[in-house]
Amino acid sequence: MSEEILKALTQLFAIITKQDGGVTEKERNFVITFFNQELDQDSVKEYLALYDEFTGYGKEEDEGEGVEVKKKKLTSVRDSVKTLAICRKINKTLTQKQKVVVLVKILELVASDSNFSEQRVEIINTVSTVFNIDKEEYTLIESFAFNHTEVRYQFADILTVSSLQADEAQHLKHIYTDINGEIIFLKINSVDLYFVKYIGHDDVVLNGFIMKPGQSYLFSNGSTVKTPKGAALYYSDLIRHFISDVTTARISFNANQVAFRFPNQALGLRDINISEGTGKLIGIMGASGAGKTTLLNVLAGIEIPSEGEVLINGYNIHLQKEQIQGVIGYVSQDDLLIEELTVYQNLYYNAKLCFDGKSEEEINKLVLATLESLGLEHRKDLKVGSVLDKTISGGQRKRLNIALELIREPAVLFVDEPTSGLSSRDSENVIDLLKELSLKGKLIFVVIHQPSSDIYKMFDKMYLMDTGGYPVFYGNPVEAVTYFKKASNQIDAERGQCPTCSNVNPEQVFNIIEAKVVDEYGQFTNKRKVTPQQWHEKFEENFTLKKVPEEKESPPKSLNIPSRLKQAMIFTIRDTLSKISNKQYLLINFLEAPVLALFLAFIIRYKDAGKSLYSFRFNENIPAFLMMSIVVALFMGLTVSAEEIIRDRKILRRESFLNLSWNSYLLSKVIILFTLSAIQTLSLVVIGNSILEIKEMTLSFWLILFSVSCFASILGLNISAAFNSAVTVYIIIPLLLIPQMILSGLLFNFDKLNSLIGSKGEVPLVADMMASRWAYEAMAVNQFKNNAYNAPFYELEKDERQADFKSAYLIPMLETKLQQVMSQVGTENDSVKKIVEKDLNILRDELHKEPFRQGIESLDIQALTPEYINKEVEGKLRNYFENLNAHYVQIFNKAVQDKEKLIYYLENQKGLDYNFNKYKDTYHNESLADLVRNINVSDRIIEYDGKLLQKIDPVYNEPSREAGIFNYRTHFFAPKKQVAGLLIDTFYFNITVIWGMTLVLYVALYYELFAKALRFFSSIKLPGLKK
Amino acid sequence: MEIIHLEGTEDTPKIILDKNNGIFEISGRSLPEDSAEFYQPVVDWLEAYAKSPNDKSEFVFKLEYFNTASSKLILDVLSKIEDVKNAVIRWYYHEDDEDMEEAGQEFSELVEVPFEFNTY
Repeated sequence: MSEEILKALTQLFAIITKQDGGVTEKERNFVITFFNQELDQDSVKEYLALYDEFTGYGKEEDEGEGVEVKKKKLTSVRDSVKTLAICRKINKTLTQKQKVVVLVKILELVASDSNFSEQRVEIINTVSTVFNIDKEEYTLIESFAFNHTEVRYQFADILTVSSLQADEAQHLKHIYTDINGEIIFLKINSVDLYFVKYIGHDDVVLNGFIMKPGQSYLFSNGSTVKTPKGAALYYSDLIRHFISDVTTARISFNANQVAFRFPNQALGLRDINISEGTGKLIGIMGASGAGKTTLLNVLAGIEIPSEGEVLINGYNIHLQKEQIQGVIGYVSQDDLLIEELTVYQNLYYNAKLCFDGKSEEEINKLVLATLESLGLEHRKDLKVGSVLDKTISGGQRKRLNIALELIREPAVLFVDEPTSGLSSRDSENVIDLLKELSLKGKLIFVVIHQPSSDIYKMFDKMYLMDTGGYPVFYGNPVEAVTYFKKASNQIDAERGQCPTCSNVNPEQVFNIIEAKVVDEYGQFTNKRKVTPQQWHEKFEENFTLKKVPEEKESPPKSLNIPSRLKQAMIFTIRDTLSKISNKQYLLINFLEAPVLALFLAFIIRYKDAGKSLYSFRFNENIPAFLMMSIVVALFMGLTVSAEEIIRDRKILRRESFLNLSWNSYLLSKVIILFTLSAIQTLSLVVIGNSILEIKEMTLSFWLILFSVSCFASILGLNISAAFNSAVTVYIIIPLLLIPQMILSGLLFNFDKLNSLIGSKGEVPLVADMMASRWAYEAMAVNQFKNNAYNAPFYELEKDERQADFKSAYLIPMLETKLQQVMSQVGTENDSVKKIVEKDLNILRDELHKEPFRQGIESLDIQALTPEYINKEVEGKLRNYFENLNAHYVQIFNKAVQDKEKLIYYLENQKGLDYNFNKYKDTYHNESLADLVRNINVSDRIIEYDGKLLQKIDPVYNEPSREAGIFNYRTHFFAPKKQVAGLLIDTFYFNITVIWGMTLVLYVALYYELFAKALRFFSSIKLPGLKK
Repeated sequence: MEIIHLEGTEDTPKIILDKNNGIFEISGRSLPEDSAEFYQPVVDWLEAYAKSPNDKSEFVFKLEYFNTASSKLILDVLSKIEDVKNAVIRWYYHEDDEDMEEAGQEFSELVEVPFEFNTY
């Protein structure tokens, strides 16, 4: 309250009280009390002096008697106008609510000495008119302040609480409670304010303060009035009396004979019978390990009971999930906030996922209203932050966690230890909030640990569990104390709460339950006086469950889940926002690729001795660079995704109650990770290629690396979904990455691998499972074939090299084979016979494949058997080989000529700035060419497994179209791949393969195959290890 | 415009509002039973008058006494006069009546109309 307003109020008090006989001691004391509430000690004196000056308190009346008698009746015109001036001033600064409070204060001031003279009332009436307070409402407030009971009876906005039974009380609204006197509540509709006053001799406590009898108090949101004997009166409980048309949907909750077995067959819960209706707050307590959380999980439908059933309005929550979708809310003990988002955003996106039909504005309003009701509205723009790096307090975190569930108003809410780790003030706030919700018609189950007396008493019922999942008590919280006191034959058993302070000590209950036997030395033993079973038997004897009638209507739900596409969008936006707000994450992810590219490219860019300039053509590191960029892409993809799902797991668990689409969630991850991958790999390629002067390959390299990175991202998501800790996941990463490096095709030649995994002439199947191998081949082949220097000549060079291979290696080889066959064909030796057979086989195969057939048209190639072969056939073949050789020499020569012509043509083409050597220096890399042409191989042709294999020039050696529909397999660095009789360029084929693998991984992710496999393996028990 | 002419009584003031003759006067004692009801015609009249006022209007307040409820209405009346162009308020008070003088001064601070104070 500002000084100006306080001054104005002081004057107003003074003007009113000096009417009709002046200020009395009581009135002055009232003003002093008021000042004491608003001001510090020094200021009180100052304002009191002001007040006294205005009223003329303590001054002798110096006016003549006669005049005074006349004046007494009338308010001086000066005071009247002054009042007007003051009220106008107040009107300009105070809100309507504050004005109502001021009015109540003034009325009370007058009421303090019961001097309700006409003049005073007239002034107050005028004040109320200037304040624009409704006449009707003024009468109501007046009757409340002046205790005009007869007037009060007529109003529906007054509620009384007394020991009168409802039919005896004359008020429209009345609550019975055991109390001396009367508590009166007043609602002022226009400003939605509640006031309370107490008349009587008990110590009635309002929010922890003892109420002064007769004084009006503002009964603000969340307030509680506690009477010494009766139950506490909660704000929302009272509100419910004022709001006449509260229609809450009916809920019945029944757990029948529920038992639960842990995976290791131990019984975790037994004989659980619970029956509750709308609007109850049920506490679940028990020793640690008694199965409180398990019970909560079973009741909430997270765990499936091994026996019995849990019904909400007759629907089995474990089996008929469709019908109870959105009915149950669950607030786990964990913190389920998205740390990078603000308080508001956390709630907003949650609401977006719950309410599809609502407009932006409605959702915004709803979120703000929810935040306000939890007292978080001032924190709404703060980032939630991690538990360690706190920006909001523990209590606020907890309340926000509850808010996430609250906003969609589930009819049944389960809360696991909401007060753990909170201060007693925060704990009470949280439980107050839950109590308020239950009063609004929610059924709430709360696992609670070491509650304070106040909290304990707030529960409608307590469900107590003992070790081993035995229920031992189910009923009124305070009765629990008397029950166990009686059961253990303690004195004073009837008294549940302390007679003077009315505190309950819930610890007492557990002390009795878990009391230990004392041995002869007076030491506690480990044996309990009463075992859980015995308590349970006692419980079975003493308690009969009052069944709540099964509600027939379907349970209420406000949930309206958006379409899958919308969900994916919401998830994406939410995740993007949280990532953007994490500066470290962004910085590292966007700098990682450029820094590595810079580092790598800078190191391997070198000049040969004696050369003054860097030359791409002679840079021997290019093959390794390609390999490294693939490794970087894989690594980035894996690391960026590996934690994604693990981090969200808790949030996913909460959202599982919403039945959101897993696919939408994954899709949002994919969108974000792929975007990130695209940016990362682009910066990698652009920087790497420009430093190493790899020209015109940016797009193709990027496409490959992007594909690889996406593949790795999905792989990372898979392991993220399969394992439950980030550490495990990061240990797994090398396990996935190193095979990719080993089997990429560069580090280790595929022809020189253990014969168990690979056959020669084909890439081993195990390598085919590596994205790195496809990527590497695609990059190397594409760079070699399609660079500006090689591209025009590739087809000619292919003819040239293949003709050369045939004439120089293949035909001489075939001639040798023929020679060997002819020299040994007549032999009787079995092993030699076999060799002959094999050689003939090779001859047949090669002759069959050969398109040039001049001279062997008449020969039946398939009949080339030891029996069939003779001198004549040999002659024909030798002749044919000669022709074949001549044919290929001719092709070779033609190709060489054509190439020279083409060079000449290109160099002399006007407008084409073509220089053969310059192009070669710029676009061609010798090392890469040597690699894909396999120049350094010693045996250019080898015989393997009854076949002749071309080792030289793999990049010119196209696979046969007849290999078989699905037989894509061929040698490494093949220029094209065969599938279904089609030859597809290696670049496109390999990229397709990588995306195919990505798709397979996505499917595996969708069905969580890795996680399932992992669970399957961990469920296998090794018999030798059993204890 | 019609003329309002109310004779004063023990509890109500004398009121003359005559546009044609340019006489606007409230005088006497004001403690009506229901002041809002009593002053309503005056407020309405002034509202109508503000739309087509005379070139100059001189409002005379010559009050002996008014109660708190009336003071609120007098303020309303003064607020209406605020809207009248070229209006002046002549506030008369008995030379012994300090209260009335001060009340006039308070009023003059609450509304933006020139006040002239005169004793009688």
